[in-house]
Amino acid sequence: MFDFIQAVLDGILFGTTYSLIGIGFTLVFGVMRKINMAYAAASIGAAYLGLVSASALQASSAWAVFGFSLLSGGLLGYFVYLICFHLIPLRNENATLMSTVGMLLLTDELISHATTGAPQNYPATLEDVMLPLGDLSVRGDMILIFGVSVACTAALLLLLYRTRLGLATRAVAQQPIAAQLCGIRVAQVNVLTFVITGLLGGIAGALICSAVGSLSILLTGPLTVKGLIVTVIGGLGSVPGAIVAGLLVGGLENAFQHFRGVTERDMYVMLLLFAFLVFRPGGIFAKGRGRD
Amino acid sequence: MNKIALAVAAAFATTLGFLGSAVAQEKTVTIAPFGVKTGVLRLFGLNSEAAIKAAVEEVNKAGGVKLADGSKAKMLAADYLDDRCNAEEGIAVVRRIVGSEALVAVGPTCSNVAEPLYGILQKTVDDTKDTGLQFPILTDVAIKVGLAKISEWSFRNVPSELTMYSSLYYWLKTTRPELKTVYGGVEEDFAHSRASWHVVMKDRANANGYQVLGESKWLLNDANFSTQVREIKKANPDILSIAAHPFTTCGLLKEMQRQGVKPKLIVGLTSTSSLETMQACPKQAEGMIIPSSFAPVNKEARFAAEQTAKQKGSADLHSMASWENVFILKEAMERAGLSGKKDAASIQSDRRKLRDALAATKTTKGLLGVNKRTEDREADKPYVFVHAKGGSWVVLHNPL
Amino acid sequence: MEFYYGLAQTIGIHTLLGLSAYIILLTGQMSMAQAAFYAIGAYASGMLTVLWGWHIVPAMFAGAGLGAAAAAAVGFPALRVKGLMLVIATLAFGEGVRLFFFNFDYQVQKGNIKVGPLGGEGFRQIRYFPENGWTSDQVMLFVWLFVLLIMALLWWCDRSRYGSVLRAVGDDELAAQSVGINLTAVKVSAMTVGGAIAGLAGSLYAHYTTHIEHLAFGVLQSIFALAYPIIGGLASVFGTLAAVVFVQGILVEGLRFLGDWRNLLFGVLIIVAMVVRPSGFLDAQMFRNFRRWIGAGRSDA
Repeated sequence: MFDFIQAVLDGILFGTTYSLIGIGFTLVFGVMRKINMAYAAASIGAAYLGLVSASALQASSAWAVFGFSLLSGGLLGYFVYLICFHLIPLRNENATLMSTVGMLLLTDELISHATTGAPQNYPATLEDVMLPLGDLSVRGDMILIFGVSVACTAALLLLLYRTRLGLATRAVAQQPIAAQLCGIRVAQVNVLTFVITGLLGGIAGALICSAVGSLSILLTGPLTVKGLIVTVIGGLGSVPGAIVAGLLVGGLENAFQHFRGVTERDMYVMLLLFAFLVFRPGGIFAKGRGRD
Repeated sequence: MNKIALAVAAAFATTLGFLGSAVAQEKTVTIAPFGVKTGVLRLFGLNSEAAIKAAVEEVNKAGGVKLADGSKAKMLAADYLDDRCNAEEGIAVVRRIVGSEALVAVGPTCSNVAEPLYGILQKTVDDTKDTGLQFPILTDVAIKVGLAKISEWSFRNVPSELTMYSSLYYWLKTTRPELKTVYGGVEEDFAHSRASWHVVMKDRANANGYQVLGESKWLLNDANFSTQVREIKKANPDILSIAAHPFTTCGLLKEMQRQGVKPKLIVGLTSTSSLETMQACPKQAEGMIIPSSFAPVNKEARFAAEQTAKQKGSADLHSMASWENVFILKEAMERAGLSGKKDAASIQSDRRKLRDALAATKTTKGLLGVNKRTEDREADKPYVFVHAKGGSWVVLHNPL
Repeated sequence: MEFYYGLAQTIGIHTLLGLSAYIILLTGQMSMAQAAFYAIGAYASGMLTVLWGWHIVPAMFAGAGLGAAAAAAVGFPALRVKGLMLVIATLAFGEGVRLFFFNFDYQVQKGNIKVGPLGGEGFRQIRYFPENGWTSDQVMLFVWLFVLLIMALLWWCDRSRYGSVLRAVGDDELAAQSVGINLTAVKVSAMTVGGAIAGLAGSLYAHYTTHIEHLAFGVLQSIFALAYPIIGGLASVFGTLAAVVFVQGILVEGLRFLGDWRNLLFGVLIIVAMVVRPSGFLDAQMFRNFRRWIGAGRSDA
């Protein structure tokens, strides 16, 4: 029983990584009603660019790498918007989805060419810090990631509810045509959404690679799938939903693994998603349109 | 006067032209390398390509390949074709090669491409009812146990993990008798690593008197190893035997460091004894022991490594098997007595002669010593044990 | 010639896979589960020919049937959600099926070896074609027989009432419902047909590659199944065929001479295709122009 609690705790803690990625997916959906399939790949790409630029400038501390990853993320976010969303009429849903898929393949291959496919050592934060909680132990770096997720949510909520940009974003999310009629430049709001989610993705990618210990394109597939699952379970467009869902998926994943082993684990995660979609399609925080 | 000079010049030029084209009509034999140059396995393809280019250059420097009529032919390596570790593309690549003048293909990298590939070859030679492809393949890298017996046209020059791990566990039993228990860590969803634990490591550990306490499993792109490490901690083995590739191996080792789990000895998977592991987790992998069919322990091995480096590749057990393959093929070609002619019938008969010569080969010259060839077209290669020391793989024990 | 027969076989099988997603896309839904039905067809038909010695044709129809059944089973619950949620639901189902086959062992002793699917190791030696003396060109013709059959079926469908109903649901669900079209029936039927076609394609795939394993039926394969009709355009079945020829013929095989650059160009060219022709290669406008062009001789311009 104790093992089980520890396993679930470990899972919940690792779920913070899913939360971080889920926030990005859900934000883009909330504002533009589109899925950016390249998001996880771009996040890993930003983490890689962060690693490379930090070492090029001889700054090898973890925080320097994270800082550069953050900036690269914003840049990549803008780039993805420009190519996959700006140039294609937004009403062509299929086309934008497929173009983000193309971007996903391209990003993976670029990283593979740059690294010759080999996993890259990534600097760790709070290396090997394990906090005791009675007889259980808690990974220190996961607490940090959780803290970052919460801080990001707080910052985003601040942005959304206390700034004019936030007002404009919420307006576009709820009623794009009416917002345009009020003089809000929809294109500008979309660009900013991508840049902000890009910044978030950059820090997410860096933290995830730091938690895993190495950066590899093997991470992009599972992160994309898990990120999408988390987004749906949390409610498309809801940021707190993404955080809660991330922790839930992480914990349940490990619970399934405990009972049925690693080969069947993901099958149950899929069944869980399916169940959610059938019984509660709006997700955990099933509210109306818009964010929160 | 000018007209005569012009005529002489023209005659001279024409003669030179004839001579030139006669010289240009040299004979060639072509081998076709293929494998993965995309995604996480890109390094394997780059290294094999470099090793094969370097080896072919050496063969030609030494005069080339002797044909049946005594003349010498230049060995050519076709462009390295990328199959992206995908069965359909692997089949398309081999079919493309079959339509070219290549006599043999060297590859693939991935075991999950090798299996379908061997499956489309003719199973038994001279079985007229079997319409499988009649084309020899000499594999350099795909290492999953027991594949070459699928077809009489498939041959492999990969080390026998059964032999190497058997020998390793035996050596460990004799040199470290205080170690009694073994626990496994296995990447369950990749053909090679899965078979390596369940069929090879576990079996051989048992056979050498170790008590196998169990195993922890994970998937090839898993990133969270906390549960598995707790299982290892609970089992408290003397030896941890990991059948996984660098990404998950490093993830596991880093988690072990985090939880303070340190078995007395760690044994790794053959493919993990590469540059990748030393790049990703040099500190955590310190001391890991892996049996390998390549280490730069003698002149030939060091020479091969240097020549491959010149072609921008690095030498490890996989790329050096590619190097060896070129020389195995040269030797087999000379024994086969090829015609070197380029019409379809001659090419097909040359391919058949080469296959027969490969099948009849009993021993080949490997970089570490003599490689024996087995009845089911596999290789039995000499090996050494290497361990990770100070960020690179160093020979720990040389049983040669 | 071997190579061209093989390429034609690959293009044929992928066209079938694309068509299975095409028919579902007509109703406005994006299904990321086509690789799952592909897998079901592959394993089922493989088991029938290898373990129980069936002839290939009934085995293929069995594969198609099982694919259809699975699609209908997943169609009912999945169709409670729309749009992007359906994408994710079908992605989850697809992954679930792949993981099922990852855990699926069923071996039977045949002579001195065991045959059948073995979980992560896959299912080897599905050698119906070479063992029964089929040559490459015969296999190619066999594959294309089915491709042309299905293309003809779908083309005729487009000209029938059923096709109009499908497209009506795809264009505007509310309007379709208000003229009395039963949305659930239409959507589930489209999914079922899609599942059958994918099952058929999977059966051919298994016998073509002789060895199948779970990794071949992942998300990427489903994405490709969707990519073909999206890149090709939904106006006609020929769009999907054109897209398969573009991707498999040009991107995968044709660009080999570029060596390393091919992999990078893959993603780039998909993006370019979508930016330059967002409605697909062959879209409705193109057909209108084509009809106007061939009808140019008439005086009622």
